Amino acid sequence: MENIWEKIYGMTALSDIIADPRFLIMYCLAFLLLYLGIKKEFEPLLLVPIAFGVLIANFPGGGMGVLGADGEGLVHYVKDGVEVSKNVYSMTLPEIAHDLGLMNYIYYALIKSGLLPPIIFMGVGALTDFGPMLRNLKLAIFGAGAQFGIFAVLLVASQFFTMKEAASLAIIGGADGPTAIFTTLKLAPHLLAPIAIAAYSYMALVPVIIPLVVKLTCSKKELMINMKEQDKLYPNKVEFKNMRVLKIVFPIAVTTIVAIIVPDAVALVGMLMFGNLLKEIGANTFRLFDTVSNGIMNAATVFLGLSVGATMTVDAFLNWTTLGIVAGGFLAFGFSIFGGIMLVKIMNLFTKKKINPLVGATGLSAVPMASRVANDIALKYDPKNHVLNYCMSSNVAGVIGSAVAAGILISFLG
Amino acid sequence: MENFIYALELMGIGMGTVFVVLILVIELGKLLILIVNKFAPTEEKTQTIATATVPANIAQAISQAVNVITGGKGKVEKIEKK
Repeated sequence: MENIWEKIYGMTALSDIIADPRFLIMYCLAFLLLYLGIKKEFEPLLLVPIAFGVLIANFPGGGMGVLGADGEGLVHYVKDGVEVSKNVYSMTLPEIAHDLGLMNYIYYALIKSGLLPPIIFMGVGALTDFGPMLRNLKLAIFGAGAQFGIFAVLLVASQFFTMKEAASLAIIGGADGPTAIFTTLKLAPHLLAPIAIAAYSYMALVPVIIPLVVKLTCSKKELMINMKEQDKLYPNKVEFKNMRVLKIVFPIAVTTIVAIIVPDAVALVGMLMFGNLLKEIGANTFRLFDTVSNGIMNAATVFLGLSVGATMTVDAFLNWTTLGIVAGGFLAFGFSIFGGIMLVKIMNLFTKKKINPLVGATGLSAVPMASRVANDIALKYDPKNHVLNYCMSSNVAGVIGSAVAAGILISFLG
Repeated sequence: MENFIYALELMGIGMGTVFVVLILVIELGKLLILIVNKFAPTEEKTQTIATATVPANIAQAISQAVNVITGGKGKVEKIEKK
């Protein structure tokens, strides 16, 4: 009888959890992320799959945690009671599914292969409207200022990591999950798990991070700058006679220019612009646009969220390298927002037409959440000050900016 | 220290390139606006059906929905409210 109870106890995950209480920390983290996603509504489409991935990856015996490969591509696991080390890149997908489980199959087939980031960029492009950017072209320059965090953190991280690892960490400052994954896959694939987690977690926490940096760097007077009033005082002389044609030509032209200057960024910028082109053509490509922006985008988000969350296992997350990446990623994010704000402040010194610093803060890629958050901040100070359209200009430019920054890092360090 | 100097160089090159690309995008945008304004100045308005019983915005929404569903082939000629 005692033997049966022992067997039942051994069958559950309890014995392993009691033997290694660090699992409890991971459950708390998963519950916290779920709470933020569901109750606080911090980017639930991303945070809920990630948080649930964290949860299911951390039940001992469940086999849902992603096994990260080391620097040499080796994964270590137990098969039939024997410890096995294999080069994951020489394993076939059915072998990965059989030996490492479902989540590893999804992870290595869709993410580690580099498939999902450009696919998601295509979906983002289909959901992006370049109209606000074209109407406020000058504001797009703040999409460059907000890449400051990437290179500032590269400086610091280069003292603690190799250059490739430091660049992969720094790209978190671009506030773009697919870009961070794409860059890390090229430069430091063994760090993919913590970098993906940090990038997506901070993207989901944009509603917390932007207000924090804005509060530390902007005065009430600056935040009350009304962009529409400024437009009335100093009107934009550009006339738009056919916005539809302009929006169709724009993605084609930008792809061509970026491809010539930074070819390594084409996988991201090209797919972004392709998705956008499908949207802008209208009725003739509506079916493709519909598939890209709904079916493909949603499926990609589910698989990406779950498998990125599942990389956050006890061993992968609770170590100094990961904690360093999490801290460094936060700095990169913060510095990027700071960089955009500072560029606005500098420009305001030399121009009559003043710009609300929130437009600089949204030079990140997190579209459109960063703009929504900035708009909410502006409305708190002045209920009539809607800055959403202006912020979208720098926000959309930030997507191009971070993809270009990634292309530069890959071409120099890859 | 060697890494730091290389990172500093990358910072200069990286920020410089991002600025150059976005300035090019801005200038390209201005150029495209000029070209489109010159060679394709009129925007094709979607057909709006003004009726006494249906407000213009609803008529336009119906017209656009028909346009999307029929792939641009179908046209709304008349909307009647019963």
